[in-house]
Amino acid sequence: MNLVVNGDAESGAGGTADPVTEVRGWQVAQGAPALIAYSLGGGYPTPSDPGPARRGSRFFAGGNSARTALVQDITLPRTGRTGRRAVDAGRVRYTLSAWLGGYAGQEDGARFSVEFRDAKGTPVALSVLGPVGAGDREGRTGLLERTAEAAVPPTARSARLLLVFTRSGGGTSNDGYADALSLTLSADGGHR
Amino acid sequence: MTVNRRDLLKAAAAAGALNLAWPLTAGLTPAQARAAAERLGAEYDRAPFTLGVASGDPQPHSVLLWTRLAPEPLAAEQRLPEVVEVDWVVARDSRLRHVVARGTAPASATLGHSVHVPVSGLAPGRHYWYAFKALGRTSRVGRTKTAPRGRVSKVTFAAANCQAFHDGFYAAHRGIAHENVDFVIHLGDYIYEHGQVGGVPEKHVRDHDGPEILSLGDYRKRHALYKGDKSLREAHAAHPWFLTWDDHEVVNDYSGTGGGAPFMRRRAAAYQAWFEHMPHRDSFGGMALPDPEIHRVRRWGDLLELSILDLRSYRSAQNLPDGTILGAEQKAWLKRTVDRAPDSWHVWANSIMLSQLRGRPGGSYMFTDQWDGFLAERKEVLGHVHKSGLEDLVVITGDWHSAFVDDVRTDFDQPDSPLVGTEFTAHSVTSGAYSPEWNSANGPLMGKANPHLKYFEGNRYGYDVYEVTPRRFTTHMRVIGDRRDPNSPVTTLTKFHVDRGKVGSYEDEGTKGSAAQYRRD
Repeated sequence: MNLVVNGDAESGAGGTADPVTEVRGWQVAQGAPALIAYSLGGGYPTPSDPGPARRGSRFFAGGNSARTALVQDITLPRTGRTGRRAVDAGRVRYTLSAWLGGYAGQEDGARFSVEFRDAKGTPVALSVLGPVGAGDREGRTGLLERTAEAAVPPTARSARLLLVFTRSGGGTSNDGYADALSLTLSADGGHR
Repeated sequence: MTVNRRDLLKAAAAAGALNLAWPLTAGLTPAQARAAAERLGAEYDRAPFTLGVASGDPQPHSVLLWTRLAPEPLAAEQRLPEVVEVDWVVARDSRLRHVVARGTAPASATLGHSVHVPVSGLAPGRHYWYAFKALGRTSRVGRTKTAPRGRVSKVTFAAANCQAFHDGFYAAHRGIAHENVDFVIHLGDYIYEHGQVGGVPEKHVRDHDGPEILSLGDYRKRHALYKGDKSLREAHAAHPWFLTWDDHEVVNDYSGTGGGAPFMRRRAAAYQAWFEHMPHRDSFGGMALPDPEIHRVRRWGDLLELSILDLRSYRSAQNLPDGTILGAEQKAWLKRTVDRAPDSWHVWANSIMLSQLRGRPGGSYMFTDQWDGFLAERKEVLGHVHKSGLEDLVVITGDWHSAFVDDVRTDFDQPDSPLVGTEFTAHSVTSGAYSPEWNSANGPLMGKANPHLKYFEGNRYGYDVYEVTPRRFTTHMRVIGDRRDPNSPVTTLTKFHVDRGKVGSYEDEGTKGSAAQYRRD
């Protein structure tokens, strides 16, 4: 099960390139993101550009701020196969994945990370995805998939997601793009 | 010891063996690289705690403990289980007999097998000792100290900055380790990102481990290389540290908010590696790794309020009319801090020079990477300090590789503008300064060009020790004799005082005759 709320940018206000002040499931920590429809055109990613196979109708973009940051805090399951007992026994792994991208040859970018924390809020694990550069995209507008996978360390009780869009150089539009953000837990692995 | 090491380096060079040993060549395995480094002077603690132990961010009831498991310190990734459980213990005595707290923390490969343990429930204003245990081994014992509460009659602390590995051994950190201080502040340039410099042993005592660092693995290795100097580990193990950073923890003169995706990827790698190697308490604010939150206010009883600034993460480009060195949120936070300041000494830990610095009369600013590149914001912040009526402000600064003492005025181009504090810029631990010829020629020129500049000395290396009482703030400029000597003795070059309730500093009569390249009086 994907633990990320509204990781596909499908919920709440948006649809155009105009920044929004609130995003369901996320705290807007810096700047203001845009939730843009793939059908908008105007150079933004379209349904036919590189991106998730099942991409829904919208994606995240950086809006008009030099740096836009969204934060989401997730409480890890208390019980069950990926609950606290399993975490503390070292039986739970996580997979973080995202589609991240930008515009043509520009180096605006999006970064997605997860920091696992213990009950006191101390970081105990970290995975960082992206940002994807123009070279990675071969100068083409679109989004590429990035994933990371690791053990959930014992004592982990929460996860903080951080989605950051950065604008390079001048201009107004922050053309870091993100979609299909996912954090899943599995109980079939454990530490290696 | 110094002579032996120099002889060894020279003998290795003469025998043509230096290329195999130092600089560390790219073809070496991590184990070979470590062995080569150790043959020529680097020393590490016993594995897996090769990088030592540290504590940081002391508060009245809490301190942060740090270590990192790195059996092969010069490897990008350790051959360890993905998660290793690390036991920790805190005691009231150095033999760890009177235990007051203990626990277990996971060291994850995703964080370089580092461990950050915030220990709470401690008593204010006292020393504690601590150690870690993992993989059947025990670390060295570190000592730390909590902040006091209530009335405090004295606090003593040290500040270090700019420790280019190749430019010298860390005799300054050896001195700090032996100082009787309550805490240490590092003002940045803890590592340098560039590649090898060569010239060993004639120009440099040692070298970097490879080319310019770019990836997370690169930054991890560079931090581990720097911690191969045992004096640095001793200073960490002896006292709790507060930390800020400057540019070279990532790359020279960078702006945290500029740059494209490849730079942002590099910055995140550098920030993560910094966190992995520092006793830094994170995640009390609104952000998360890999963007650690550095700026904070800490108090040492009723005597000292310490504001630690982050002048890199949120800055814009230099020389913009609306440019920022603090970022909007940190600036608002600093102004609120000024507004709410208690009646105490106020110290800003400031990585890069606040005071204006022109190179010669009528000349331009020497470096606009410092606050001189953010004029409107400096005027706004210092104007706010004046308007709020904040007194007893002392700014401690690094970056410049030379010592300065400045009057801090609200408008540096108006010598009669309000004087709001004193800035002490400390010598570097090792990073190279200008030549003695440059210093003697330009010291007087800088003095003429900057009416607020009171003192300049650029021929030495070391650190500052600050002794603070309710009546007086004294800066002791500690200097080492020779940065090529890891055991170089420490002396006090001069002392400056600031009296409580009076703005401006004055040099101690007993040290006023010491060497300097500029002195206003």
